[in-house]
Amino acid sequence: MKNFNRRDTLKLGAAAGLTATVPSHVYADTLLKVGAVYVSPVSEIGWTKQHSLGIEAIQSEFGDSVDVTVLDNIYVPQDAERVFRELAAAGNQLIFGTSFSHSTPIQKTAPRFPDVAFEHCSGLVHLDNLGTFEAKYYEGTYVAGITAGHVSKSAKIGFIGGFPIPDIVGPANALLLGAQSVNPDITCSAIFLNSWYDPGKENEATKTLISQGCDVICSMTDTATGVQVAGENDAWSIGYASDMSQFGNGKHLTAFTLNWAPIYVQAAKDVVNGTWKSSTRWLGFNGDVVRMSPFNDSLSADVIAAAEKAMSEIKSGDLHPYAGELKAQDGQVRVQAGSVLPDQEIRGFNWFVEGMIGNLG
Amino acid sequence: MDLFISIFTATVIAATPLIFAALGELIVEKSGVLNLGIEGMMLMGAVFGVWAHFSGMPMTLAILIAIVAGALSSLVFGILALTFMANQYAAGLALAIFGGGVSAFIGRGFGSTPVDAVQPIKIPWLSDLPFLGPLLFQFDPLVYLSLILFVAVSWFLYKSKAGLALRAIGESPESAHAVGYPVIMIRYVAVLFGGAMAGLGGAYLSLVYTPLWVENMTAGRGWIALALVVFAAWRPIRVLLGAWLFGGMTILQLQGQAIGLKIPTELLSALPYIATIVVLVLISRNRMAMVLDFPASLAKPFRPSS
Repeated sequence: MKNFNRRDTLKLGAAAGLTATVPSHVYADTLLKVGAVYVSPVSEIGWTKQHSLGIEAIQSEFGDSVDVTVLDNIYVPQDAERVFRELAAAGNQLIFGTSFSHSTPIQKTAPRFPDVAFEHCSGLVHLDNLGTFEAKYYEGTYVAGITAGHVSKSAKIGFIGGFPIPDIVGPANALLLGAQSVNPDITCSAIFLNSWYDPGKENEATKTLISQGCDVICSMTDTATGVQVAGENDAWSIGYASDMSQFGNGKHLTAFTLNWAPIYVQAAKDVVNGTWKSSTRWLGFNGDVVRMSPFNDSLSADVIAAAEKAMSEIKSGDLHPYAGELKAQDGQVRVQAGSVLPDQEIRGFNWFVEGMIGNLG
Repeated sequence: MDLFISIFTATVIAATPLIFAALGELIVEKSGVLNLGIEGMMLMGAVFGVWAHFSGMPMTLAILIAIVAGALSSLVFGILALTFMANQYAAGLALAIFGGGVSAFIGRGFGSTPVDAVQPIKIPWLSDLPFLGPLLFQFDPLVYLSLILFVAVSWFLYKSKAGLALRAIGESPESAHAVGYPVIMIRYVAVLFGGAMAGLGGAYLSLVYTPLWVENMTAGRGWIALALVVFAAWRPIRVLLGAWLFGGMTILQLQGQAIGLKIPTELLSALPYIATIVVLVLISRNRMAMVLDFPASLAKPFRPSS
């Protein structure tokens, strides 16, 4: 029998450490390693939940041959940059960033890992190994706005967004334009929380809008708080990202929901096949990325028919939410009758249409 | 007039969770202990309140369970910082992170179900008064509880013998020990009280205010409560005013946004923080009073010499 002294124990420990670490770098049966960074915690509903469904779609497509690393609640850019770098250094071949807040970190990390495929949701900058994808939320808010226009008695609707960025400002405009297609006198007050995640403040914002007479609330944030508080105060609500009808106290009109799964699965397949190229995808009802959740039962058949007609016309291209004539808040004509706002300007929307009440600084 | 009532009531409600947590922390700090873990204790209270509510318990019991959960989680800090004399800053930060993680773990699956919020009470006659009724007498019971607790804490600190002992321990644990007070035991009670109050604040968020459970739902309110205690220079009345001021500025900036005030929203969002700090610093600028109110042994471990 051999007596172990301290040095032997150390050697053994080191050997054990090596055997434990080395094999993890040579996954024989792993086809693909995927990393994803979420901006908020994965809850049962909301923006991040819909992204986690995209990752789940990859997992069910590839089964055990995919290895997924997910980090949630990463919204500070400094943290995000470190996290992206670590994911790339750990050998992930495909990395998803899921927030506008991840823009700079992912743009800084991508060039340093040219062999890794980066996909960035809400991104604007597109590099050799950094693709971007985005939903046409405004198609969803426009259709939701049509239902809001029908039910609003005060002709005032309210909108709550995280930050005043084009992806939030544009949909707010489309919500009002949809409502104005029913009742041209409707106005929409907008509040920005300047936070992606603060249910308490969302509650306060909802109550604020209701106190100013808004009777339909559309909250484009990450929790169901807006829907819940609107329902308690007998106001209509429009959900975002996920169907939030269970929170709405029967007053949830509809939700524009996001279905990222096709984009996630396609990117994973392309990386496995070696055919991945960075590209820009911008999809709405076409592509099945934006969907409308079931309309509220108490809406009349006419209203639902009008909303569905708009949906199919948007799909076919006969209707464009940002078709002229569009005026800005100050009444100045920004899009002439007969033309539509160019895609470039939709992605960079930084002004409110006439009838919006709020300030973009 | 309706708008005024709505701003006033929204302010009071927004301030209530801060008042609970900050009054608790005030007692802790007055005993010479700094517990940075309020955020974690609030989250524990919030999630256990929702858990009890979903298990079918009556609301009063759910709130009590949240209070107990907050107190028990503060015990983690107490054992580290008081018994083992660990660094209080580190132990508090650990509790903040621990509470966030554990509450997220316990709360898995809670987020898809709405909570039936605690309803405002109806006080006979008073609630039906014109103007004053909706302004003052239609809150949920916990808002009134926050005022009762404010009075109780002020009375305890400045009018009771036990409060005097607590303050003495916060000033000079050695002297208090020398005259026979059980310093560590009293500090434990203070820490537990702070935890219970933070748990109550968390329950207010998840059962009354939001009302739903989502991970990390306090969104920094624990840290705001902590800052309130410091900027209020350890005076209960200033904690109360500071919390209302913060709540009021938050509501006003949202009202300002919704009417289209020509001020950038980023600046408006920063307003509650700036205003609260400026006002509290201005009213606490008397150096002498500041020195008197500051618990001199704050965050210093105490080892009883036998």
